[in-house]
Formats: sequence, structure tokens, C-alpha cells
Amino acid sequence: MRPLPVNFIIGAVLVALVVGVAALSLIWTPHDPTNLNIRGKFGDPSAVNWLGTDQLGRDIVSQLMAAARNSMTVALVAVLLGGSIGVALGLLASAIGGWVEDIVMRLADLGFAFPALLFAIMLAAVFGPSLTNAVLAIAFINIPIFARVARASANQIWTREYVLAARAAGMNKLAITRDHILPNIAAAVIVQATIEFAVAILAEAALSYLGLGAQPPASSWGRMLSEAQTLMYLAPELAIYPGLCIVIAVLGFGLLGDGLRDITDPRLVRAR
Amino acid sequence: MFEMRNMTVRFVIGEALRDASLRVAPGDRVGIVGESGSGKSMLAACLMGMVPDAATLSGTLTIDAIDMTQASETTWQTIRARRAAMIFQEPMSALNPLRRVGDTVAEPMRVHLGLSKAQAMARVMALFEEVGMPDPVARLRMFPHELSGGQRQRVLIALALACDPELLIADEPTTALDANVALKITDLLVHLSKSRNMALVFISHDLAAVARATTDVAVMYGGDIVERGPTAEVLAAPEHPYTQGLLAARPDPRAMPRDADGVRRRLPTIPGTVPPLYAMAQGCRFSGRCSSERSECAKVKPKPAGPRDVACHAVLREAT
Repeated sequence: MRPLPVNFIIGAVLVALVVGVAALSLIWTPHDPTNLNIRGKFGDPSAVNWLGTDQLGRDIVSQLMAAARNSMTVALVAVLLGGSIGVALGLLASAIGGWVEDIVMRLADLGFAFPALLFAIMLAAVFGPSLTNAVLAIAFINIPIFARVARASANQIWTREYVLAARAAGMNKLAITRDHILPNIAAAVIVQATIEFAVAILAEAALSYLGLGAQPPASSWGRMLSEAQTLMYLAPELAIYPGLCIVIAVLGFGLLGDGLRDITDPRLVRAR
Repeated sequence: MFEMRNMTVRFVIGEALRDASLRVAPGDRVGIVGESGSGKSMLAACLMGMVPDAATLSGTLTIDAIDMTQASETTWQTIRARRAAMIFQEPMSALNPLRRVGDTVAEPMRVHLGLSKAQAMARVMALFEEVGMPDPVARLRMFPHELSGGQRQRVLIALALACDPELLIADEPTTALDANVALKITDLLVHLSKSRNMALVFISHDLAAVARATTDVAVMYGGDIVERGPTAEVLAAPEHPYTQGLLAARPDPRAMPRDADGVRRRLPTIPGTVPPLYAMAQGCRFSGRCSSERSECAKVKPKPAGPRDVACHAVLREAT
């Protein structure tokens, strides 16, 4: 067996770290992340508050952990929702072809024409700022991406001889899609989902930074960043910690996706 | 009884099948011979109702006197597997790499016959035994890549037999196999045809396999059926110039590699290649490559005539 690609290993370690921390925050954080302690504001790192406290005296480690959980939840729900709708549309387009395929794909093109984040901001602005609307907005911008990936991969599989054999055995298009097309495009879809996960984390941070995502008192890396912005000269570490968390999470999922692609499609690996 | 009359399959760039007629009754074993691009597979696609959407059809196809020419895709789905089934040239690519072969074979039974998973699996077992699969119980749960080429082709045959079809179309079933495995698969198909009284349409460019498997044969060139008749007679005394050329181009293991003067003997070939569809002659499509060509050949399509339905101006002229 070939050795695992380096980007896959690094990505997997970073993702394990972030997901592990997020999972841990479900049952335990060092302190209550919403517990105010005005007297202890801007506390230095100590045995009690490992990374110190913020301008309201909240424990930073606890906030980062709770934010990781929120980020993961948003990204997971958004990618699953947008991904399943997108894949379903892509499979439909591929199976039926003709004008149905044209309409679905032109709508996808339309979705691509808008800058994704700007579109999410618009949706969040129209429907009001909340975590749910942020999730829906991010899910929505994922639909055309998955529709394209699913349709392109599915079109390839439809030309395979085993699909012809299934047709010769009297299978209808729904059964063929379920039994032959979907399992064979799963690899491409999973790779795309991992990469889109990173994009969703970034989008959630951006929306929260703009005040369109997580609302107080819910923790979010993006919101921590925006709150720290005004205190940049007083306490730069308040911006650095959530910033680093975003970098680690996005980089981790991005590398993991790239690595998965290298593993599932060896033709794409360039000579290094 | 499958009966095709004057079937023409027309694409924008040309006709892939011209005026093809074919009758297949239960128990018949019919060979279709011709080189790549001769329309053999298009003929098979017509019998399965699987002609690409881009094509326009004319002519009639009846199954037990029921007209199928205008049948919908949904109607065809009830015909496929139950009445007509098909096996393919490349058994590896004709099997989904991600499905256990038992599930693949069970699928049409569950869809068409409404069997439960357990019932279907029991039948798959019986089918695997019928097609001579070694150790069928263990094979049920294997993936295609775990099987040998011959075993994969046996899986595909079992898949085709799943719903007891009246007609089995084998589209170059032995081309991708070793010579000795090909022989066994050919014999298996003949045996199945006899034991089930199932019609067999055997498509191949391997004349030896066709001679072994079939009782009747139709020779195709460029979308035309140029000659047909009992296999033994056609192969022993071919009438159409194309059939003659095809037979002459067989390597003969008994021939000496050098003739009396010590000159290396060359395998006779038919000069030229099959032209692409858009460049086909209006008349006889073999014109341009034919050794006994006449002036009218390229312009006028020869009418099939005589007991062998030979479509050739030169043969026709000689006979009259």
C-alpha cells in the first residue's frame, strides 16, 4: 500500500484536534464560557485561566472550546443540508438529461455568478441575523457546488458498461441511480464535502464577525474576533487566539480534503 | 418469437443499420458476424430497445406478434431481463466494482419477480451452479475484482438468466477472455440455450466461436446484413465477396509459413478499412473494398436475393 500523503496526515491531525476539542466542550469546559467576572478582566494566563480572561472576565479557553462546537455544528448542518440538496439535484439532472439538466445546471451557474459570501450576507441580512439563518445561507451557497460535482461525476458513471448491463436487466433510472451511480460518485462527493466544510467554517466566522451569525451569549470565533478588534492595542491576544483557531480548523479541513482527493484519485497527484 | 423487419437506425451522420431483418424463435442459435462498426451491436440494441435517444428508427420489431416499435421506455423495462437479456464483451467493466456479485445478480429478480432478499439469493445460488461457478456460496459475497475473467463472465450470464429470458443476446462474450476460457463460455452458452430452450443471438467476429455456437448466421457489413444462412453452409461456401474475404483472412495453422519459392506467405486481407458512417457509399457499402465490384455497386443498394439473402450485384448477375 502506498504511504498516506503528507497533507492528509497533517489535515487529519488538525481536524482531530478541533473536533476533539469541540466534542469535549459538550461535556466539559474549564469554566462556564458565559460566566462574567468584571473584576478579573484582561487576566493574564494562569493555572486557573490557561489563556487568561477577556474584557468581561470570561475564560478564553472555555470560550474557544464552546465556539469550536458552534462552528462544527454550523458547518456540519450547512454542508449536510446544502450537500444533500445539491447532490440530489445533480443526480436528477444527470439521470433525466435534456431540458431538466439544462435548467438545473444554468441555475447552478447563476448561483456561481454571485460571490458566495456576499450572497450569504445578503440572505442573513434579509432574513435577520441568527445562527439558523447563517446555517441556511451557507447551506444555500453549497447547493450549486455539490450539484455540479454530482452531475459531472454521475455523467461519467452513466456511460459505464455496468450501467448498460443494469439497463439491460430492466432497471429503471431511479434504481440505477441508487444502486450504481450514487455509490460510485461517493468518493468525489466526500472529498468536496470536506473542502466545503473548511469553507463553511470560514463563512460562519465571517458572518459572525459581521454580527449576522451567532448572537450573544453564544460563543463564536468570528464574534470573538470582532469584539477584540476595538481592543487590538490593549489586548492583541484576544484577537490572536480565535484567529489561530480559525486558521487551524480551515487549514485542517482543507488539507484533509486535498489528501482525501489524492488518495481516491491518484491521477491527480503531481510528481513531487 | 422476436421478429425484426426492415429496421433502419439513422443518426445525423448516417445510418448505423440499414433494412435489417431478423427472426429469432425459441431455441434458435443465431450468429451475427462482422468487423467493428458493422452494426452488430446496434442490431442487439434494437432487440433490447436500447438504441440511443439520438437515433431515429424505421421498420418494425414484434415480440410474439406484439408491436414494440413505438413501445415506451417503461414498457421496455418489463421486457428486458424477463424476455430478452444481454451479456457484454468486457465482464470487468460490465460489473459495478462496488457491489457484491450476488447482489448484482439478485437485483432484477427482486425488481421484476418481487422476490425477497433471501428468496433471490437462493435463486442466485442455483444460477451460479447452473453456469458452472466454482464454490458458488463463497462467490456470492465477493466483489468483481476478486474473480477471474471467466468467473466474471459467468456472473454476467447468471445476471442475464436471472428472470428466465426467452432470448439471450451475447455481444462478443468471449473477446476479452483467454482462448481456453472463451471455449468453455461458448459451450456453456450453447448448453444453456439447449437446456432452457432459450434463443441465443451470438455476436462475434470470431468465426470459430460462431461455427461452434450457432446453427444459423448473418454476416454484417457497414450496417447491412449481406448474407445469411445455416452456419455450416455459409462458412463452407460463402457467396458474398465480403464473407469470402472474411473467411480468407483467417489465419490457417496448417499453411506453411513460406511458399515453394521460399517467399514468406502473407495473410490475405480485405484492402482498406470500414469507412466512417458519414462516408459510407449510397449503394453497396462494401463498394470501394470489393474485389468483384461493378459500376452500379456504389450507387444502387443491392436487394437481398436467393436462398441466402445475398445482397450483392455481382452474385445476382452471375445467378441470372
